Amino acid sequence: MTENDQHIILKLGKKFLLLATILVMLDILYRVTLYPRDRERYCTLMQYAQIPVKDSTDIIYLGESSNHSYSPADKDQRAISDMIDDMLPGHKVARLSKDACHAGIYYDILRNIPRKNPVQTVIVTVNMRSFSSEWIYSDLEKPLQKEQIFMRKAPALYKRMLLAFKAYAHWTESERTKLVREGFKKQTLDLPYYFPYKNANDWDHAIGSQCYLYNGKKVSQDTIALTCHYIKDFAYQLDDKNPRIQDLDKIVKLCQRRGWNLIFNVLADNMDQIKVLAGPDLEFLMKSNVQYLIHRYEPQGVKVVNNQYMVRDRDFFEREFPTEHYNQHGRHMVAEHIVERLKE
Amino acid sequence: MLFNSIEFILFFPIVTILFYLLPHNYRWLMLLGASCFFYMWFIPKYILILLITIAIDYTAGILIEQWSDDAKLKKRCLIVSIISTCLVLFIFKYLNFCSANFVALAQHFGWAHPNKILNIALPIGLSFHTFQSLSYVIEVYRGNQKAERHFGYYALYVMFYPQLVTGPIERPQNLLRQLHEEKTLNYDNIANGLRLILFGLFLKMVVADNLGQYVDQIYANPQDFNTLDITLGMVFYSFQIYGDFFGYSSIALGCALAMGFTLIDNFKAPYQANSIQEFWRRWHISLSTWFRDYLYIPLGGNRVAVPRWALNTLIVFTVCGIWHGANWTFMIWGFAYGVLLILERGLRNIHVFDKIASRSGKTIIKVVNIAKTFVIVTLLWSVFRATSFANLHDVFSAWIHNSSVASQLHVNAITWIALAAFIVIDLILKQNRFDKWCGEQHPYTRWILYAVMIFSIIVFSSVQHYPFIYFQF
Repeated sequence: MTENDQHIILKLGKKFLLLATILVMLDILYRVTLYPRDRERYCTLMQYAQIPVKDSTDIIYLGESSNHSYSPADKDQRAISDMIDDMLPGHKVARLSKDACHAGIYYDILRNIPRKNPVQTVIVTVNMRSFSSEWIYSDLEKPLQKEQIFMRKAPALYKRMLLAFKAYAHWTESERTKLVREGFKKQTLDLPYYFPYKNANDWDHAIGSQCYLYNGKKVSQDTIALTCHYIKDFAYQLDDKNPRIQDLDKIVKLCQRRGWNLIFNVLADNMDQIKVLAGPDLEFLMKSNVQYLIHRYEPQGVKVVNNQYMVRDRDFFEREFPTEHYNQHGRHMVAEHIVERLKE
Repeated sequence: MLFNSIEFILFFPIVTILFYLLPHNYRWLMLLGASCFFYMWFIPKYILILLITIAIDYTAGILIEQWSDDAKLKKRCLIVSIISTCLVLFIFKYLNFCSANFVALAQHFGWAHPNKILNIALPIGLSFHTFQSLSYVIEVYRGNQKAERHFGYYALYVMFYPQLVTGPIERPQNLLRQLHEEKTLNYDNIANGLRLILFGLFLKMVVADNLGQYVDQIYANPQDFNTLDITLGMVFYSFQIYGDFFGYSSIALGCALAMGFTLIDNFKAPYQANSIQEFWRRWHISLSTWFRDYLYIPLGGNRVAVPRWALNTLIVFTVCGIWHGANWTFMIWGFAYGVLLILERGLRNIHVFDKIASRSGKTIIKVVNIAKTFVIVTLLWSVFRATSFANLHDVFSAWIHNSSVASQLHVNAITWIALAAFIVIDLILKQNRFDKWCGEQHPYTRWILYAVMIFSIIVFSSVQHYPFIYFQF
């Protein structure tokens, strides 16, 4: 390095130091002026974290669309969380639910609840579809990730910069489809007996390319499409590499630190339909995944409420696509089961 | 990789620092690797297409030089090289368009036809690096450039990351020569490079993206907006595309300059041009000079009879339109420019205009001409922006008929301020470059300007994702 180079580097160093000072000043300026407005505008989830304190609630119900979706035929249109609230006199339940939320989002909401809070119990909805790559790379993930940026622990200006430079999932549709497909290939299936498909992708392709179900029954293309959806959503085997498991782990640790009781509300899926369409192999996988959650989290003091078989086929009001949207009876069953475990 | 992404904020300093840390002999390798990485961030497999183009023109360059004594063989080699390079471009960019039009035509006349349309995505920047590659073989053929024997340097000439995706379309005499030169650490280069990057990000993220949200609204549902809204939308698009592309070019120039490479200036205040001809001398200069040197002049340029010149002009501008995209709207856009240039030359020969000009104040005439040129350019950008003929029809139909509809366009203050700032900057800079102008200012003014720009980029940029407009070409 020549003397001239050293001189230039020193000069550049001074300029970068000046730049860093300007950035610190701009951060202060931003924090006191536009940051509160931006946080309100770009991060509605942040407001969720304030609800327990504002409304003095001792129970938090974190959920997604399964909580507040209802059938048009329902006379009782209460959300699951509202039903729990009504079933527990003397307690107040905060309803923090937003479509397509998952453990990663719940963790950020919980983390942002102010230190001084009346919360005693946290109910976290565990949607078994949320572990699949279909949900991990869902197109609903982009707005959620955008909101998550403002929930980070970082300087205000840095968070706005991440938003400006699109430091979140902004996949194009073709990129997203590719990621989902690659994800299915990684959803390897290692069953304790002979099973012809290596992963969800193979299984989906095998079923999708014919008009017969596993039992040789000839069905319509719509039924095949629905079966494929079930396979893509549930044909995986949980392990600690799954990002949602990592999020759940973080929630467990956070609740332990904050002294909150934690309940994992494993949502009911349409097992009646799954058994008929995809057969016992998928049912076996789904059951073992719930068992994995129970064995992983119950020893850590988490109550895992297993609702997997709780809601029957007739209580699912959406039939063309796998959802956890129950009618009033279904929601009531889930709420009742949770309250039962809460009272234990 | 996008220039306005968080990945690039990391990529740029790493590559620049590595460039200066490495000995000159290894820099090309690092830059080539970085350029591949930059390109493969989009769709990795498309690098193979790029490599095919590189291999064809690299080989052609050497063969043309070897056969310099045999004019016929040399010419054949050039033709083969041009055809094969253009074939790649045709397959990926125009085949779908041609087959779709053929199918439509066949359906119209009731012919039997294979109803097949290929579903191929256009590799990013294909038109740009194809043209850059072509300029190399043509220059070697003309004897203006020695054939590059080092494959790595030639590949780097085509793939140099700052200008790989959206230009400027470089000439071998400029870039290839510089790639061989040993660059030393230079404070001014780094400072000017960073200034250009900052300016480019401001234009893209604050000006273009904020305008873009309104333009998108209007062009998606023109029938919902009134005449004034649509007029604003058209004007906004003129500045959006300028800010977007000028922004990209500035960042490209800045990235290259930080390593000591000087690229062609792509813009010189195009909206201050007082004629269409002048507009094309100031807008996308690297493309317009490409067409001038490799198509217009070989066709005879203006040293031919007027009808032939008119034909040449129409050919060049129609091809220029098609170059932008495989769509009839682009073709019409290019053709219209050709017609306008012919008319402009015709009107210039009518002396009554000269008399008016001599009698009236020159400044007023100039302002009127600038305004006239801007209006024409803006109207033609509407053709360029329209997604189809139907969309174009909807836009113009609403523009004409919706005068009494209530305004639906609610433009926020940030957008107006950003637009005003852009116009002021453009007027101040004239044909000067931002980095040079900035360097002439008092340090206090300069640093206040940096702070304002940084704050605006971070806080006032649009949160919607808008890829660079020219990426699609």
